[in-house]
Amino acid sequence: MWAYFKFEFFQFFSNKKNIAIYVILLFFSCYYALKIAPTYIPIEKVDVNEIEARYLTREEFLNNVEINEGTHHLTRFAATIFPEWNEYDKERLDSIEQHNLKEYAEATYKWYAYSDEMIFRYGGGFLFYNPGYYTYGNNYATMDGHYAYLYSASRYEGYSEGTSNLSVKVFEERTALQTLQRLLHAYLPLILIVSCILFTVDIVLKDRQNPTLLQGLPLSDWRRLIVKGGVSLLGSILAILPLSVGLLIIGARNGFGDFDLPVPIYFLGEFSNITIGKYLIQNMLFIVFWFVFIISLLLFVSVTIKNEFANLLVGCVFVIAEFIYFARGVAVVWNVQWYPTSYVQVGQIISGYRNYLYGTEALTFGNGLYVMGLCACIFLFFTFLISNRRKFKLL
Amino acid sequence: MIELKNIGVQFSGRDILKDVSVMFNPGEIIGLVAPNGTGKSTLMNVIMNYINPNNGKVILNHELEYTNKKNEVKIHQLVSMMPDQSDLYNQISGKEHLKIYSSMWNSNRKLIESTIKELGMKSYIKKNTGTYSLGMRQRLCFAMQIVSDTQVMLMDEVMNGLDPTHVELISQILVKKKSEGKTVIVASHLLENLEKYADRIFFMKNGELILVNAVSPGFDEREITTVRVTDLTDKIKEKFSKEFPERNVRTLSNGVTLIDVREYDSGRLGKVVEFLKENQIKEFSIGKEALTDLYSMYYQER
Amino acid sequence: MHMWKILKTCFILEKSNKKNIFACIIVAVFVFGLVLFVKTEDLGNTIKEKSGEYQSLSSALSKFQNVDATDSGNGSDLYKNLVLQRHYVSKQSMAIKMDKPEMYLDTAILLVNLRADSFDMEGFQNVASYLPSKIENQLDSVFYQYMKKTGISLSMNSLSYFQFLAYLIGVLGSVWFIFMSIYSSGVMIEDFQHSSLIKGYPITFDKYVVAKCISLMLIVGVFLLELFIFSLPLVYFKGLGNPSYPIAIFIDGTSEVYPIYKYLGLSLLYMISISIFTILLSVIFNVLLKNMYLTLFLELLLYIFPILFPSMISLIPFNPFNYLNFPNLLNGQMFELTNSVDLNSTHGLIYIGISIAIMVVAVKLFLTTGKLKKV
Repeated sequence: MWAYFKFEFFQFFSNKKNIAIYVILLFFSCYYALKIAPTYIPIEKVDVNEIEARYLTREEFLNNVEINEGTHHLTRFAATIFPEWNEYDKERLDSIEQHNLKEYAEATYKWYAYSDEMIFRYGGGFLFYNPGYYTYGNNYATMDGHYAYLYSASRYEGYSEGTSNLSVKVFEERTALQTLQRLLHAYLPLILIVSCILFTVDIVLKDRQNPTLLQGLPLSDWRRLIVKGGVSLLGSILAILPLSVGLLIIGARNGFGDFDLPVPIYFLGEFSNITIGKYLIQNMLFIVFWFVFIISLLLFVSVTIKNEFANLLVGCVFVIAEFIYFARGVAVVWNVQWYPTSYVQVGQIISGYRNYLYGTEALTFGNGLYVMGLCACIFLFFTFLISNRRKFKLL
Repeated sequence: MIELKNIGVQFSGRDILKDVSVMFNPGEIIGLVAPNGTGKSTLMNVIMNYINPNNGKVILNHELEYTNKKNEVKIHQLVSMMPDQSDLYNQISGKEHLKIYSSMWNSNRKLIESTIKELGMKSYIKKNTGTYSLGMRQRLCFAMQIVSDTQVMLMDEVMNGLDPTHVELISQILVKKKSEGKTVIVASHLLENLEKYADRIFFMKNGELILVNAVSPGFDEREITTVRVTDLTDKIKEKFSKEFPERNVRTLSNGVTLIDVREYDSGRLGKVVEFLKENQIKEFSIGKEALTDLYSMYYQER
Repeated sequence: MHMWKILKTCFILEKSNKKNIFACIIVAVFVFGLVLFVKTEDLGNTIKEKSGEYQSLSSALSKFQNVDATDSGNGSDLYKNLVLQRHYVSKQSMAIKMDKPEMYLDTAILLVNLRADSFDMEGFQNVASYLPSKIENQLDSVFYQYMKKTGISLSMNSLSYFQFLAYLIGVLGSVWFIFMSIYSSGVMIEDFQHSSLIKGYPITFDKYVVAKCISLMLIVGVFLLELFIFSLPLVYFKGLGNPSYPIAIFIDGTSEVYPIYKYLGLSLLYMISISIFTILLSVIFNVLLKNMYLTLFLELLLYIFPILFPSMISLIPFNPFNYLNFPNLLNGQMFELTNSVDLNSTHGLIYIGISIAIMVVAVKLFLTTGKLKKV
């Protein structure tokens, strides 16, 4: 079995297709690090001018406003909420001028918490979040802003309480680890899963080209499939290597950040922080579960349909299926937590963002592992049954 | 009629074919016999133009040469090579393979049914080839070429994996094709079988084609030239040499001893037989040397 | 005659190829999925769209201090413009609710003109992201004026059958090249595994390739047919709709109005050209690279190359890969990416056509069956 593993492993890495995948991943990670990452402009950036402009306008308003019986109720409202708001802005300005980042973090945390409270609860129709959310055609700008402000509040709270080295790069989530975190929140899981599909798509069927060589091996079909799956899993995990090159480039330019930086996790309407190290480990684990799921799925398809193109399509369907049924708040109607496809955005599942979008609490890390694991087991079980049928031929 | 003119092929500095010139005529079965790796397949590939020879040319019917793609198509219309059995499409049936070949070469459709019948493939011809055994696949490949019905047929290892009955069956079909005026070029290791139907047999060595007659004059003569003894100990051999000192006795590496009995009349031949019988030799034959012997002689003599 | 016998061979092989069945299933699933998506998202529902627009305008206005927006007031021109826009949008919403398409249309024309003015106003860049782009507005303008002129009744409900087809082809069209390259990436590789058969065929390689293309194109025809057939459930849900309902598109640098059937025709023409282009490209890459996945990766890289390096588009405008995402070309998004009017949709078809011709010639000149190697 070990010898066969080595044999398959060697085959895997001498396969032109697999080498090409690694090269392409390397290209993309470099392209991202060199061309895309530097142009990243966060909506919630550290912008002294913006804070100052807002602070001065409001200060002027507070200095000049006269409250009497004829005052418009909105003016009255503004006059009551602006003093505290401005206090935080003032602190932010002062601390950033003195380069006291810890204090800035604390003031910013309070600012975001207070802002969200005001805008979300009281400000419907006249107070707005950062204009960055209100793009043309975005019907959920307020919801996006709400999430982002609470997220930022929690994040800055973490910075102010933690022991990590702070910098503007950290605040704007530009360090290598934070970039990785952002990517996990976006397309990185999809890229890894698609790579896994491409790695696995021919792992069984490639033997068709020289069947006699392998038919006689003293190893049952089932064991061979397992070894193949194992090699593919290992290969998929190794796809992280070329991707980490990009990470090193970003790290060299923007610093690496450290593993204790906070990552806000949304659950039941509230945010709590975990460290980025924990977040990454959870992601890794989840992605490995995805790999296992995809591999067992493709092994199953390989032994039933025996067609590479079918493998490719079935794999892709599982990746893109969520786009078809995804809609905000749709979890009320459908129990999305029972579909493995709902967990494809791994980073968003772990950070709770997917829950927020769907309007549910059920899309959790634990549920995800449970569903993915169960499905993988079912696929493997059927593969086992099929590969043990007497008439079954692997090739 | 197909003619090879001064064909030379070199792979990485080594001569695979060296200045080969030969003519294959209609109504002739040519046997190619040589150990593996001496250039049989290369020769066939050159005839099909799958390999460009370093020099020389292939001429079909005095006029066609591989000078351009158009001619290549014309030649392929007349010259075919048996497909490899590993190249069969597993997901379609044997019959569909035959249909493909029939329509590609635009041959008589009736050939499909008759070939199926002749080769006894009726019971499985409608099944996907993925389910075929080695021999079934080999027969299908052969049938495909027969269905293509080209003037020249190249067959590499045609008898591979076939049982004796089918070897016999295919031999008969080859003879039939010959009588239809086809040129059939067969490479085979079944020497006894080849000997039976081939009109000319060539050995290949050092990139050259050598007619068997040139190796052993009188190979194709119809007279008794040799007594073949399968098991002759050195002791008896010595004894024999003393008794018949003028006779040429050779022991080959395949264990066969050949006693040259050319120009012997039946009386002297009887003496030889008597001697052998007296010395408890049970297996011997009188006639001429077998192809196997020539093969051993030619390739294994050091 | 020659062609026919090769075609027969190709049919026998394609008929037994599971890949085709799967591709057909996938196309069907895609269409069904999109039908479902359109139903759940309620696409084309004007009420929803207008409420989004209203919000965007509100937030654009929040960038300004609340000031007097009357003509004689002291607000900036842009501010006044935006206030008026918001007013028109809410008027449109009212018109929908009260089912007055006439009023909706008139207001729409006013709104479009108002927007056209706003693009050149001072400070527009600050609010640009809240408003439709210049090209989108241009398309809207042409559309509404056409509606006014012809008096076709405005569709304000969700997409009906023909409108859905236009939408479907827009979505599918932008991934059509990707689909086709996945589908065709192994076109020759499958044959290379049977080289000893193919090498000996008494036909030239280019004829074989052409036959292969024809048989694949017939299957592509089946895919395209599927689009029309599997969208039929929408007829039941939302009605057939009007096949000559107008669509505003960007043709040759100007915005024009096409009836849906004409738009569908143009799109199908594009899809068919792209299919042939992709198949030939796969043939050539297959022969050169002898690997299905390398072919696929190379094709996809070539496809995203202009997107990764947009400056290359104006540098090599004749690169057919610029034009493969034709829905973006027709709805003007490509112009926003490149900021140039070089990408002309008719030229696109011509460039793709020329590429096809070049590839056919290349296949004819450089590739032969005889030298195929088994992979």
